[in-house]
Amino acid sequence: MNTAYPVPIDVPKSTIRNTASLLRIVALSLISGAAIASRLFAVINFESIIHEFDPWFNYRATRILAAKGFYEFWNWFDPTAWYPLGRVVGGTVYPGLMATSGVIYNVLHALNMPVDIRNICVLLAPGFSAFTAWATYMFTKEMKDESAGLLAAALIGIAPGYISRSVAGSYDNEAIAIFLLMFTFYCWIKALKQGSALFGTIAAVFYFYMVAAWGGYVFITNMIPLHALVLMLMNRFSNRLYVAYCSWYAIGTLASMQVPFVGFQPVSTSEHMGALGVFGLLQIIAFIRLVRSHVSAKQFDQLLSGVGVLIGILGALAFAFLTYKGKIAPWTGRFYSLWDTAYAKKHIPIIASVSEHQPTAWPSFFMDLQFLIFAFPAGVILCFKELRDEHLFVIIYAIMASYFAGVMVRLMLTLTPVVCVASAVALSSLLDTYIDPTEPRPEVEDRTDAVSEAGSVATNGSSTPHPNGQSKKAKKAAAAAPQTPKGALGDFIAATTPTPKGTAPRQKGIFGIDARLVVIINVLSMLFFFVFHCTWVTSNAYSSPSVVLASQNPDGSQHIIDDFREAYYWLRMNTPKDAVVMSWWDYGYQIAGMADRPTLVDNNTWNNTHIATVGRAMASSEENAYPILRKHDVDYVLVIFGGLIGYSGDDINKFLWMVRIAQGVWPDEIQESNYFTPQGEYRIDDRASPIMKNSLMYKMSYYRFNELFGGGQGQDRVRQQPVPKVGPTLDYIEEAFTSENWIVRIFQVKKEDPLGRDHKSANAFAQGKKRKHSKPAPRRRALVA
Amino acid sequence: MKNPFIFILSSLFISTCALASTPQQQLTQLAAAGNGVIKLNAETFDLLTSPKRTWSASIQLTALDPRRRCNPCKEFDPSFQAVAKAWSNVSPKTRDEHFFATLDFDNGSSVFQKLGLASAPIVYNYPAADGPRKASRTSPAKYDFSDGFDPAPLAEFLSNLTPVTIPYKAPIDFTRWITFTVGALGAAIFLRFLFPIVNNRWSWAAGVVLTSLVMTSGYMFTRIRNVPYTGPNGNWVASGYQTQFGQEVQVVAFTYGLLAFSFLMLTLVVPYQSSPQRQRIQVYLWTGVIMIVYSVLVSLFRVKNRGYPFKLFL
Repeated sequence: MNTAYPVPIDVPKSTIRNTASLLRIVALSLISGAAIASRLFAVINFESIIHEFDPWFNYRATRILAAKGFYEFWNWFDPTAWYPLGRVVGGTVYPGLMATSGVIYNVLHALNMPVDIRNICVLLAPGFSAFTAWATYMFTKEMKDESAGLLAAALIGIAPGYISRSVAGSYDNEAIAIFLLMFTFYCWIKALKQGSALFGTIAAVFYFYMVAAWGGYVFITNMIPLHALVLMLMNRFSNRLYVAYCSWYAIGTLASMQVPFVGFQPVSTSEHMGALGVFGLLQIIAFIRLVRSHVSAKQFDQLLSGVGVLIGILGALAFAFLTYKGKIAPWTGRFYSLWDTAYAKKHIPIIASVSEHQPTAWPSFFMDLQFLIFAFPAGVILCFKELRDEHLFVIIYAIMASYFAGVMVRLMLTLTPVVCVASAVALSSLLDTYIDPTEPRPEVEDRTDAVSEAGSVATNGSSTPHPNGQSKKAKKAAAAAPQTPKGALGDFIAATTPTPKGTAPRQKGIFGIDARLVVIINVLSMLFFFVFHCTWVTSNAYSSPSVVLASQNPDGSQHIIDDFREAYYWLRMNTPKDAVVMSWWDYGYQIAGMADRPTLVDNNTWNNTHIATVGRAMASSEENAYPILRKHDVDYVLVIFGGLIGYSGDDINKFLWMVRIAQGVWPDEIQESNYFTPQGEYRIDDRASPIMKNSLMYKMSYYRFNELFGGGQGQDRVRQQPVPKVGPTLDYIEEAFTSENWIVRIFQVKKEDPLGRDHKSANAFAQGKKRKHSKPAPRRRALVA
Repeated sequence: MKNPFIFILSSLFISTCALASTPQQQLTQLAAAGNGVIKLNAETFDLLTSPKRTWSASIQLTALDPRRRCNPCKEFDPSFQAVAKAWSNVSPKTRDEHFFATLDFDNGSSVFQKLGLASAPIVYNYPAADGPRKASRTSPAKYDFSDGFDPAPLAEFLSNLTPVTIPYKAPIDFTRWITFTVGALGAAIFLRFLFPIVNNRWSWAAGVVLTSLVMTSGYMFTRIRNVPYTGPNGNWVASGYQTQFGQEVQVVAFTYGLLAFSFLMLTLVVPYQSSPQRQRIQVYLWTGVIMIVYSVLVSLFRVKNRGYPFKLFL
């Protein structure tokens, strides 16, 4: 017995098995605890509140579902959104998230646990992250073994790339979708490995859940067929593949068509055609194989060349014809812009304007994945080394997801699971090698002896006993003839190419305890560093609700900036229930959720023209904007202005997108270049172009701004520019409310002048009269009324 | 073949009785003389953009003289000429409703001064200010070069202003097609030799890993944003968390690759080393490489993200 450190040899196998499985359960529950706990920073630092923009709509819809039941929710027509158009919510929403919360809510209430629906919504994402960790464990277990699975579960539990979309309060579709993604993939792998129609069906059921939950289901719709296609191209067609794919595709597609928002898309749009094509191809190949097993080789060749080619050509022609006739819709813009990256900016500025649709620079990758990002290629290489069917899946997933994550920041979310899986495979292979106590022998010895000894040691000593893994490891550990070293690269190639038959396999193992310790300590410290990194990133970068902002007082204590809620509650309390609020679409869901007032446009950007109308009103001068506002019954206009405290996500910074989107619909009226200085700069100071200075957005943002500086010249802290000495004046609208830090400013649209004058002359007249009496400005008077 | 003939005849005819011609006829004549593009000077510029114009005009303001060293001007000029040429194929009646003109800085610096222009090239579109085609907005619209200097987007943009769409068709890029065909043929011929490479999993592995390394190093960011390869003064690290230069892709991808390679050496190669001493050296070597390169990577990240509180040995 030759081991690097003492190993107990008389422990029965059943004890090892039981201990290992207990440890696994303990580890998994600790991982779940860590995953949930690290997402609670947002609740601890701030409060239990729904974050950002989209979650506010989901929360509002869930409240309806919980209060009125599923059928009411299904038939819900929301007249307050997209005023005056309204929105059919039941048919334009992925209901999976709301249904999940509704079920949890009803179950808890049936158990006499009166939990508030808001707390369910806030804590749904952390809860599901624990399931994600488990699903990743199951998935990675299929790739390598349980120890790699546990590592992968721990990594995805705390990886910032996933936390960024699943902190407490981030009540968005992605909260449950990543769990569904990983679990569907796990079922698919399981179905493929076993040729099991049961697992294929489970995969289809979870695929249906995914379709109901997130638009990103298209990723699954294309990943699984791609995997199947690659398997067929590699001549790895098997009956297992046939059963798994057909059961998944047939049931999954039929099920997905039950979601009203998806409807007949699975048979009529290009995103889904790949899955259908692979389904057809599988049938052809299966048929050919059936025929081949029944006829002689010569007849078969003739048949193959005739029938196979004919069917293929006919299928391709039918596809081309249907696309040409418009029966199959081309790729929708959102997906098309992933391939043609210039497309969105040119044709659909609404998609290009969203910050999460921007391309990713490398620091974001490092921030979100830290050392996993370079352990990941090593894991991919290890997958290539084994290259079983399921490893191909990881490889395809890796390459697709890294491309998508590079194109869109948001899709970092789909990259994170595969990075965790691949790097867990890499790290656990490394640890397996260096923890394994078997010590090779420096000289060539009797082979049979070495095999038996190595086998027994591996059985006793390996940290996670697995019957298959053991026998393989034992085989690999078999000692044999050493080869002459040929430098690092030569070794690498030699190690990765399978040993040719006839020659004995090479001896494998680590000598001595110090070499083991160096590597293990290095890996462990990297993992520790990762934990610190994740904690820091989560608490500092990803836990801000963005409804409430935090800043630091001079003494280091936290100062909460609560302007948004202040303004929304002002709207809620001080305006009539049917007062229409116009704002840029980013704030539509928040206004609907917190202020409960009708909005013109919101984050469900389905109507480009309507959004462009708002952009046009914001970009036009007051006189031109007024008829637009009146025609849409707008009572209040809400702008976000960060110039006072340096909040950079404000409307002046988004203004160019409003102009661009408006220009897309009214190119004669709005031109982007008019909003720049002649030198092509975007400025707000004296040098700003007259059209810029006269735009409604500019006027509303800087109205009375100078007064804050005691009549002196104001300084915009976002743009770092002084504002013009003479501030803008307003005729057609008047200031109604400005929040504490000036982040939210609300203006009331005046009704038509009772004497039929336009407001400009009416104001001039009023001011002319007022000048004699001096004071009060007409704005004040209106406020009192 | 009939049209150009009539066109030449009519222009001859007009030039003979030029004295009595209206401004529009003068301009038509000038356009004919310049092969579809009027070469402007300060006076003809005023004529073309007169407030009483019943025609519209697209004017390229440029500086083609080599002394001005305006490379974008040279790059853009052929595109403008190509679109103007396409316009001259329109039937004469509609054609004379819209003019293409170019004003070189050396022929009309006063115009540049008057318009307050400090850069070139610029394309201004003057809509008709009078007559039946009078536009609601008579101030000129500026062409936005965000789509590059290609003729196709220019033609698309100008078509909004011209009476009929500009019949511009991109010329067939023969070099591209030839390269493509030759490449495809070559691949077909060499398939026999390529087959072992295509069939080898390690060539695929190299491809996959290289692609994902390059993608995770922000290559698509540099493609989409068109960022330069390096910054000014040879500075290759863009300051700021949200941006990067082209060279950073290479450095970061190489760093990731080196680290991944060290992992693989430790996992796959070192265990097969049969001499204990040599194996020990390799273990320490690759562990050292990981520690040092990782430290470098973290310090590079600290340059990008100033608030990052952690550092390793560097």
